[in-house]
Parts: sequence; structure tokens; C-alpha cells
Amino acid sequence: MNNISKPFWVIVRKEISDYMKSWKAVILIILIALTCMGSLYTALSNIGEAVKQGSTDDNFLFLKLFTASDGALPSFAVFIGFLGPLLGIALGFDAINTEQNKGTLSRLLSQPIYRDYILNAKWIAALFVIGIMLFALGFLVMGFGLIFIGIPPTAEEFCRIVVFLLLSMVYIALWLNLALFFSIKSKQPATSALSGIAVWLFFSLFYNIIMNVVGKALSPSPMAMPDQVVRYQKFMLNLLRFSPGELFQEITMTMLMPSVRSLGPLTFEQMDGAIPSPLSLGQSLLVVWPQLTGLISITLLFFMFAYISFMRKEVRSR
Amino acid sequence: MMKCRLNFWMIFFVGFVGLLHAEEKEKQMLLYTPYTKISVPPGETINYSIDIVNETESLKNPDISVSGIPRGWEWEIKSGSYVVNQLAVMPNDKKSFNLQVTVPLQVNKGNYRFVVRAGEAELPLSVTVSSQGTFKTEFTTNQPNMQGNARSNFNFNANLNNKTAETQLYALMAAAPRGWNVIFRAGGKQATSAQVEPNTTENISIEITPPGNVEAGTYKIPVQATTGTTSDELELEVVVTGSYDMELTTPRGLLSSDITAGDTKRIDLVVNNTGSAELKDIKLSSSKPTGWEVSFEPVSVEALKAGETANIQAVVRASKKAIPGDYVLNISANTPEVNKSASFRMTVKTPLLWGWIGVVIILAVAGTIFYLFRKYGRR
Repeated sequence: MNNISKPFWVIVRKEISDYMKSWKAVILIILIALTCMGSLYTALSNIGEAVKQGSTDDNFLFLKLFTASDGALPSFAVFIGFLGPLLGIALGFDAINTEQNKGTLSRLLSQPIYRDYILNAKWIAALFVIGIMLFALGFLVMGFGLIFIGIPPTAEEFCRIVVFLLLSMVYIALWLNLALFFSIKSKQPATSALSGIAVWLFFSLFYNIIMNVVGKALSPSPMAMPDQVVRYQKFMLNLLRFSPGELFQEITMTMLMPSVRSLGPLTFEQMDGAIPSPLSLGQSLLVVWPQLTGLISITLLFFMFAYISFMRKEVRSR
Repeated sequence: MMKCRLNFWMIFFVGFVGLLHAEEKEKQMLLYTPYTKISVPPGETINYSIDIVNETESLKNPDISVSGIPRGWEWEIKSGSYVVNQLAVMPNDKKSFNLQVTVPLQVNKGNYRFVVRAGEAELPLSVTVSSQGTFKTEFTTNQPNMQGNARSNFNFNANLNNKTAETQLYALMAAAPRGWNVIFRAGGKQATSAQVEPNTTENISIEITPPGNVEAGTYKIPVQATTGTTSDELELEVVVTGSYDMELTTPRGLLSSDITAGDTKRIDLVVNNTGSAELKDIKLSSSKPTGWEVSFEPVSVEALKAGETANIQAVVRASKKAIPGDYVLNISANTPEVNKSASFRMTVKTPLLWGWIGVVIILAVAGTIFYLFRKYGRR
């Protein structure tokens, strides 16, 4: 077994070193690191005000490092949600077609290894780079936070941050898988990069605009019954949730703000007698469980598509 | 007319002779005071100013004494600032001295006579005591009975009247049953003794606090004001009506619980009668979030004696639509006399069913990928 899987890890190691040497990944990582440090700075300078607001999240001061902002610069979580997909696309869009164009893919395939090792190794390597970067940034934020606030995170907070980082990885992996899929489907790296960015742009910009238009068209009259309004809002929210960015945003919110008890509209009936209180990590996970399931499933599905198309791909030597 | 004139001369003559005679006879000492017979109440001090008139041709130095003064009366002779027993008077001169007589409080009504002597001169004096005198203490209140429940304080107002001639320092004591607390206040300050000037009245307020678990009933509390010589007792009566109080809690005092949305949970409740009277027909009710159901087993407690506890189970059913997190559930126990409520913090948890469905979906996708691995990867 060790003998068989050894070439796999050789490829993984090679891919990682390729990523670390390539300019596009380094530039993106530096970009993300800088913006995250900027958001950490705003979080630290605003954490005093954030605490004064007197909400139930006050017990989770450490989580505020990831969510607090003064409005000028988005918070850490928002940056990850915005720039993470770009990193995923950047790491994946030229994975296969560049090698094919260079002719190295057929040479690689002539080696005595399983075919899917190539795709899997590339995927694992990219995921590894993403994970290293995310955890490095996350722990950097925690470390700086420790220095500047002086309050250590509780076990609960630490777990929440780790879960948040893991889910960020899943989210970035989603875009990585999409980019891998495009890199297999299209011959030119430019095409696959553009397709990936197009999808990303669609979901991060146009989807919301389209939803606004649809929402306006569908919106009930001001005289509508309350339950009709609630139904409409739920419907709109469900439409929005087709966007992975929306799913990720809801997950981030629930993970980093323990006082979030529900996503979506609430009836007065449900709020009657409820007192503001933070949820435990398990309950928070259960609140976003549908979103989590959706995100993980989409990620796996995209990988599946990439896998199938790679396995069926005809690779000729030039 | 002639006769008339004769008569006049007769009188004149006789008078003249008499005067001569008197002049001859009065070559002696005289005692003089204008108030020879006065009327005073008991306890009064009388000040006589008495003159000694020396009509003789020689210096006189008579002893001054008082005789026939009743027992218990005090007297003192002073001249200038000295207590004197003798007083020298120049010829054809007069001196005055003071006699101070104190009528005791404890004296019978009537006439009292005594004589002041200075040498051969005598001055009989008479004092009429206008009323019956006393030597005693009066400790009285115009409201010796009070009613209240076990939680209330009973404030009595008493008057302590010192009818003796001396300032008295009264020790204030109460023979209260065990557990009762009696506080005396004299002049607004908490005290165990009170000083009362003679013939004055001091207001004493007495605050009585029954023990918290006192049974209903009538309690007599004797209160005493005593000195070495005189004392008086006052009996206060406190009527304690039964107090109604109860406690609603759980056996361990924990007022929080968790519940899964849409599920039922049984909560043990304890109703504790902490009052002193029996509570009847304790009904349990709840104010709950919408969509929740709360029922009690048993529905009510028919009777609960003082100090006893009853166990009740509350069956709580959370709304299916309840969101995870904390809800407040108020359960109250009511009788016409008293009601108590307890706030429960119910932590709602999401049912795990949808969680498992999510897991199944993820596993299905992962399984498909694994299948693809087997199908394509290992050829």
C-alpha cells in the first residue's frame, strides 16, 4: 500500500512546491494576508465600541476579532468570503489544461500510476495550500488578538474559530473544484480562468441584482396578510441560498456570533418568551446544518464532476 | 352729743392705756410671716420668708427650730446662703430667714400644723394638702392590644409616669416568649432603661417582633419598668393572625432545563408552605411562550399545612417551531391569600432528525465519489 500510494504523495509534494513558487498564488496569498491584517487592525481599534453595545455576544469578545469592523474596511470573515473564491479559482484554473498544453500531462500519464492520482494530488495540494494559508491567518489574528486584548479565548471560542476556518476551507475548495472542472473542460487556461471568474462574479454580484429584480416583481402588496409576507420572504431567502456565497455568509454569521439563533424570518409566535442568549457550538451547528450540508455537498459534487470529466478525458501526446 | 364725746374719750383713753400696756409688755421677740395658712398639692415645696423682730433693748440670739412637722416632710432653714440654727438680731431690728418645707408625694389629704420657734417666740403655721398624695410609678398604655400577622411589627405606645419625688432610672424589661423580640424606645432611641424626672411622664414606645414561624394565637407580653423602690407592670396583648406564604421551586433549586423543540419534558416542582397557616386549594398556572403547552400533575393541591411541602410535576411541551436558545417559562402557584411564581429558563435544542438527513446527503455524495474512484481510478 505504501509503495502504491508513495507516488501520490510525491506528486502532492511537487504540486505544493509548484504552487508556492508560482507568482499567482503568492500574489493572491499576500493580497489576502494584507487585507486580513487590515481588517484585524480595524477590529482591534473598534473592539471597545463593539463591546459597549451590550449584546449577548459580549461574552465572546474573541470572536469579535473576526467580525468587528467600523464600516470602512470589511471584517476578516467578509474578506475571506470575498477573496477566498478568487484564491480557489487561481489555484485551480490552470491545473490540467496548462500541463496538457505543455505536453507534460501525457508524460505523467505514461508513468505507472493510477490516472486519478494526478487530479487527486493536484486537488489535495491546492487544498493543503489553502488550509495552510487560512489557518496561518486565523491563528495570526488570534495571536495578535491575544497580544492586544490580553483575554485568552475560551475553549468554545477556539472551537468556533477552528470550525469557521475549516468551513472557509470547504468554501474555497468549492471554487477550487469548479476551477478544476473548467480547467479540464477547456483547453485554454484563459478560458477556464474567465469561466471561473464569471461564475464567481455572477454569484457575488449579479445574482443579488437578479434576485432584487425578481423580488420586486414578486413582492406582495402592502395590504397583504402577514403570513403571506413571511412566505414571500422565506421564498426569497431560499432563492438567495442557491448562491454558495450566501450559504457561506450564513454559516460564518452563525459560527462567529453565538447569539444568532435562527436564519431567516421569525414569527412573533417564535419570539414570544425567548430571551437573548448565546447558543452552544453544537446548537449553532444545528442551526446552519442545512447550509452546511448544502455547501459540503456542492463542493463534493463539483469535485465529482471534475473527476468524471478528467477520467473520461482523452489525453493525447503531442 | 355730750355723751357721744364722752364715749369717744373713753375709747381713746382705754386705747391709750392698752397701748402703753402693750409697749410695756412687748419688750420681746416676734416671728412674722404673711402666709400662715396655705394650701398646696402633694410634692410641692413651700418657701416661707420669716422675719424675726427684736423689740427688746438688748441683742438677742435665739435658737430657731421647727417642731410638730409631720414625718416624711423635709424642711430646711436658710439665711443668706447658709443653713442656720441661730440668728442674732440687733435691738429694735429685724432679720429674715427662709424656711423651706417640702410636702412629700405620699401624703394624706388634710390639715397639717407645725410651729416655728425662735427663743420664746412662736409662729404656728398651717398647711392644707389639697389632694391625696402618692409615691408610685404608672406605666400605662391606652391601646394594650394589637393584631397583625407573623410578619408584622407591633408598635405599642406607653406612658411611664414617675409620681415619686425623685428622679427615677427605670429598667425596662419584657417577659416575652422565646424567639420574640422586644425593643424599647425612649425619646426615639433604643434603650433598656429610661430616666424620668419626678412628676413627669416619658413616652416609651415598645416594638414587638414575633418570630417568623409563630403560630396564630393570642400572646400576652408583660412589660415592666422597675427601679429599686418602685415599679409598675403593663401587660400587652398581641394577636397573631396566621401568615400566608409559600415557596415554589424545584427539589434542587435549579430553575433551568433543556428541552428539544416539539418534545415534552417533565419538571419536578416543590411547593413549600412557609407561612404559619394552612394553605388551601393551591392552583398552578403558567405563562408560557406561544405554542407551548404546560400541564400539571396533580392539577392543584387541596390543602397544605404550615411547613409542609407538596410535589408537583409540570409537563412542558415545547412548540415545534421554537428556535434554539433560551425561552422563559413562568410557573406560578396561586391561592387567594398568596401567589408565588418561578421563572424557568428553558434551553431549546433543535431536533437531530434534519441533522441526520444532512449527514446522509453528504455521505451519499461521498459514496458516489468513492464509487467513481473504484470504477474509473483503478483501471
